Amino acid sequence: MEPLARAFSRSVSEHPADGGLFGPQSVVWRMHRDRSFPLAALRSLMVQALHPLAMAGVAEHSNWKEDPFGRLAATSGYILTVTYGDTAAAHKAADRVRAIHSHVNGTDPATGLAYRAGDPSLLLWIHAAMIDSIVHVVQRYGRGLDSAAADRYVWEMVRFAELVGVPAKDVPASVAALEEYIESVELRQATPAARDAIAVILDPPWLEDETRELWRDLGRVAAGTLPAWARSMYGFGEPDPESMQREPVRQLIGALDLAFETLPGVMEARERIELRMRG
Amino acid sequence: MNLKRPREGIRQSRLGRIAPLARLALRIGGRYLARSPQLVFASVERRTELRHDLALRSAEEVAEELGYMKGVLMKLGQMASYVDEDMPETFRSAMARLQHNAPPMSPALAASVIVDELGDAPEHVFARWDAWPFAAASIGQVHRAITRDGRAVAVKVQYPGIAQSITSDLRNVALLRRIVTAAFPGMDPQSLIDELGERLREEVDYLLEADNQEYFAQYYEGHPVVHVPRVVRELSTARVLTTELVSGERFEKVLQWDQHERDMAAETINRFVSRSLYRLHAFNGDPHPGNYLFHGQGRVSFLDFGLTKRFNDQDLVPLVKALRCLVIEKDGECFRSALERAGFLKPGAPVPTETIVDRFGLFYSTVLQDAPMTITPAFASAIVRRFFDAKGPLAPYSDVPRTYVILQRINLGLYAVLGSLNATANWRRIGAEMWPFVKGPASTPIGEAEARWEQERAGRDLTLALR
Repeated sequence: MEPLARAFSRSVSEHPADGGLFGPQSVVWRMHRDRSFPLAALRSLMVQALHPLAMAGVAEHSNWKEDPFGRLAATSGYILTVTYGDTAAAHKAADRVRAIHSHVNGTDPATGLAYRAGDPSLLLWIHAAMIDSIVHVVQRYGRGLDSAAADRYVWEMVRFAELVGVPAKDVPASVAALEEYIESVELRQATPAARDAIAVILDPPWLEDETRELWRDLGRVAAGTLPAWARSMYGFGEPDPESMQREPVRQLIGALDLAFETLPGVMEARERIELRMRG
Repeated sequence: MNLKRPREGIRQSRLGRIAPLARLALRIGGRYLARSPQLVFASVERRTELRHDLALRSAEEVAEELGYMKGVLMKLGQMASYVDEDMPETFRSAMARLQHNAPPMSPALAASVIVDELGDAPEHVFARWDAWPFAAASIGQVHRAITRDGRAVAVKVQYPGIAQSITSDLRNVALLRRIVTAAFPGMDPQSLIDELGERLREEVDYLLEADNQEYFAQYYEGHPVVHVPRVVRELSTARVLTTELVSGERFEKVLQWDQHERDMAAETINRFVSRSLYRLHAFNGDPHPGNYLFHGQGRVSFLDFGLTKRFNDQDLVPLVKALRCLVIEKDGECFRSALERAGFLKPGAPVPTETIVDRFGLFYSTVLQDAPMTITPAFASAIVRRFFDAKGPLAPYSDVPRTYVILQRINLGLYAVLGSLNATANWRRIGAEMWPFVKGPASTPIGEAEARWEQERAGRDLTLALR
């Protein structure tokens, strides 16, 4: 978890030039520091991987299998920088992502279709799967989010998609629009690459024995939060309702969060966010 | 172990020199309360740098900080603070951080707890109320106040919702088991979880702590160097604990005092622990430096009775026997069988008795010889290392039975404290004053003052009984 801690600490700069793209009063700031975020991240990955072309781009062009936490840390660092960094830092980070995307092209072996990572329709899928997961998980296991705030969050995050190259007019701006969009995407399937990736994420071979069981529990909960269509594509069974209850899940998240929080720099970064939100 | 006995002459003259001074101090020792409440109130300053800018403003924020396993794991961290030798690296740093305190409650949130518990706003319940806490407690914080009848008090206020949250967390045994198994690979998870649960359930109920503190306070009433603040019952509930406010020096400050003062402070702490165990059959849990306040000339106030264990005679018998066998009778077989009876050692372990005497004997080494001995930091850490030695010849056969887990913590913590003070004393003679099978004579000025107090106490008790 150290790379994640470093990414977190780096992304929340100590002397930002301004409030960034969203500002301390935004719903985005509140959502992105929710303790349920690791669960939302796992669910995001599981949904995102169900688009064969998005999955192929990751499988064929990323070193994630050699350095999965490094890869996760890069993504999480990007989200945090765009959220809590100042405007210049956010744009710089987005430019870098776009530059990387421009080199990621190929043909998906499973469907035979060509892909480009910079393709706005792929980027939109990635965006929507992430936003849907964050809203779902925070509503269910986070600090609480009413439907107005959820809509407001989806709307605020249009800017986020725009930053990597999705035209604003194409980005769903409400929870309902988001769900409608996801249902409308026809190319959804669990390719071998996706199954492979998710199996590794659910039971990472490089995890220390001490934390493995806790991580597996978290993975099971994340799988349990998937929409029925995604669950059946992966062949996951119905989740055990008891283990999906708010209390035990928050306890699990709390235990993992404590382990994260004790890493160098994490507390301090959290305090910086808190203080700026308090104004 | 062959400690060289220092020349008697030096010892005598040193004692002779300090005695009158110490006696004088001991006579005025009872004056903890002589100062005006306003002065005490003003002199008690903030003990730790509390992050007021991050103060928790709602029960929801409290839950995020301490609920959902966090409070429970922090307690585990505290319990494990002496155990970290064997802990995997992942958990070691986590546990270290766990011993830090959560941010304080905002004045409004703390006041809301007072309203819920004592029925009115703190400004009405008390004549004076400091809206910001001066110290953090594990699941609460401490405010200074002056009661309407003019007493300076410390008011411990529990974080709202934390009791329910901890109760719920303790019910999630499956998760606790995972964490404990991961963090303490060598230990029996069930007994740790049981111990954790028992301690936490005690800790969230301030009424229990009030009872324990009063038990100690009443016993030590009028004691020349040991002071336990009294509880103000009418201003205490399960979530609010009001006790007499004490001002004194913190442990860190004492470390800069001259060695003579440090020795006296150490002697008092040592006396408090043995007297409480052998006479009161009770232990005030955590010998944490933060739980003492020092007044000079050996006078110490003991705070925080959230972790108190009372023993019955049955619990103590094997411990007393082990001590007597080793220290007085110097009988290895007798010592061994006492350890076996207490459950510290598996009966019939294929280990020679000399090895057992050698390994376990280290824990008694301060009282083996009738001579002054300095407890250095190195000695204290050697003890801790030996205790958690998973590779030693006795490791497969030794254990700490649950009844004594807390006792071991106290002992190890005590050595750590005495080690930091680099304290010298004839620990054997001090111990022998308290041991039920010796009842030795007073061996120091503090011991003499204590003996006088005990006589007066007995007289008082007799008068009370005759009335």
